[in-house]
Amino acid sequence: MKFSVTARSGTNEASAPVKRLALSRHSARIGFLFILPWVIGFVLLKAIPILAALVFSFTSFNMLHPENIRFVGLQNYLNILHDRDAGSSLFGSVGYFVLAVPIEMIAALGLAALFSSDWLRGKRLLRTLFFMPSIIPAIAIYFIISGLVNPGSGWINRLIIEPLDLPPPAGLYMLFPVIFALWSIGPGFLIMLAAMQAIPREIYEAARVDGAGPLMRFVSITIPMISPAIFFSLVINMISSFGGVALLDRGLPYSQSLSPMESYISYQMFSFLNLGYASALAWVMFLVVMGITVAIFRSARYWVHFPEEDENVEI
Amino acid sequence: MWKSKRPRRSDFSTLSLRLWDFTGMALLNLFVWLAALIYLSPLTYMFITSVKTSEQLSDSSAPILPARPVMYEYEGRARYVYYVPTESGTRQLALIDSDRNGAFFIDPQDPEAGLIRWEGSWRTLRRVYSPHWEFGNFVTLWERIEYPRLLRNTLILVFLGEVGVLASSIAVAYGFSRFRIPGGKYLFLLLIATIMIPDSITLVPTFFIYANLLDWLRSFTSTSAIYYIPLLLPHFFGSAIYIFLLRQNFKAIPRDLDEAAMIDGASPLRILVSIILPQAVPTVVTVGLLHFFNAWNEMRMASLFLGVSQERTIGFSAQAFQSYGFTPEFLQASALMLMIIPILVLFLAQRFFMQDMVVTGIEK
Repeated sequence: MKFSVTARSGTNEASAPVKRLALSRHSARIGFLFILPWVIGFVLLKAIPILAALVFSFTSFNMLHPENIRFVGLQNYLNILHDRDAGSSLFGSVGYFVLAVPIEMIAALGLAALFSSDWLRGKRLLRTLFFMPSIIPAIAIYFIISGLVNPGSGWINRLIIEPLDLPPPAGLYMLFPVIFALWSIGPGFLIMLAAMQAIPREIYEAARVDGAGPLMRFVSITIPMISPAIFFSLVINMISSFGGVALLDRGLPYSQSLSPMESYISYQMFSFLNLGYASALAWVMFLVVMGITVAIFRSARYWVHFPEEDENVEI
Repeated sequence: MWKSKRPRRSDFSTLSLRLWDFTGMALLNLFVWLAALIYLSPLTYMFITSVKTSEQLSDSSAPILPARPVMYEYEGRARYVYYVPTESGTRQLALIDSDRNGAFFIDPQDPEAGLIRWEGSWRTLRRVYSPHWEFGNFVTLWERIEYPRLLRNTLILVFLGEVGVLASSIAVAYGFSRFRIPGGKYLFLLLIATIMIPDSITLVPTFFIYANLLDWLRSFTSTSAIYYIPLLLPHFFGSAIYIFLLRQNFKAIPRDLDEAAMIDGASPLRILVSIILPQAVPTVVTVGLLHFFNAWNEMRMASLFLGVSQERTIGFSAQAFQSYGFTPEFLQASALMLMIIPILVLFLAQRFFMQDMVVTGIEK
């Protein structure tokens, strides 16, 4: 190692600024070559489709009569205002975000807090067990939950309703989003747990000496110290609750997305082949998601304590 | 250990303090393990149901655990055994015949005693069960859904995508982390921004493009392998979130070694393969695992493009299982067969996975 350091400092001092510039120009070209796959993919699979979706949204494009395509201005967007289904599906999507994300965040945070205790035994196995449901395919979860709520052989009835003589429950379908949310805590849990383990113990010791109780220590030390991890998993959960794919994808087809807006878009698209209207709907959803994203990022400066990242600024 | 540093109150002896700690520890462990049990109870339900017989599932008074009815063979026919309340306590008797007012039973322990007449409705009696795990359900399902073929298709798809996504994401992450690209900072911000764009936005044009591409390809070939193209192609351009994870990790690797290698005349590709990658194994494995899970569960592209294909993936064909008229035990068995491979992979590779989430967490 010593050798490499000497070698480097030797060349650095010897090389004239001119030579360095040539090297950096050369290295820029090679670097660009390395990121080229992403650039091509970005243009072909992101930029062009996004622009095309924008153009489509101002037209009456329908796959059944592609030749009848014409420019209709804001007509599609005005139609959304009168489309009750669009309104309720957008409302449903925001509702799912409001329901699922707090469940995922609070469960992951609570679990991570329990896991950072020295008293817990079998942590490695428990960690894998709590992470496991996050990789189960959505269709398998769908089979499992439908089985659980099955009036004949389901456990909800056999183990809870019948022994306690309860009236047949009405809103059992609400279990789907709740179990999906509870079973998606894996990535958030691991990220928060890792952040908690990185907090220096001395801080807790000092707080304990000053007389801070466990709750006080959690609220005033743990939460601020792991706030970047909370922020990161909040963004990830937000994206996936709206149907974007962040770290782990359970694989819900568009038509069965938990985000009703997404299934409504695919319904307009594949049942009516209304590509123009579907694109306009997608843009409305995009604006809502972007609005929430911007709000989360704006709020970050009030509650997220980012460590100084001098290294990360320079690319 | 912090336990010893805890300030001790004078009215507590060391012994009672230890007792206190022990109780806390026991309560915490009890709580977390109980939570895990409840958290995974739907999976327990799935497994237990998948090894039941359909006979047990259709009997509402059957036990919760897998079992099958106890039978007794009488005059060449198998008869159910019931719990029958008699004057001498509840007896286990086999039902032979019944009429309007009652039924005839026989005692399997003592068949010589002849038929026993019992008054009452035998339909209210409970059947006798003995524990039995019906693993034959899996064998039946294996053949019925052509599991090996689905597995082969899925694994080919996952493997090809894995190669593509790892090669491209590693190259791009290397480009972003080690070279001064003009405007590289803005390109990287653009990359992060693409993570936030919901899929629905690109759904319409992407479907349009691939549908036309497939139409065009169909004029040359009739192989159903072309329907995999929309599922595979995007992976060869790198995935934004994986590039982000890898680039964070590459940046944390000291540059000394690769600069020395550069001076010795190593090419950038050589530096990536021989110096950077060996130091980034956990992150590369994590990214590989994330892709494995995601590709295994992938349904969005599959539901759009594999509908007409005969060569389906397991996740996609599972969608149709409910319309096959599967009874609960087969449905749950199929759920298990659908997820068993990702779960095995997770358990085998959990050390890597957990280790790297730590890195990711600290790096933010």
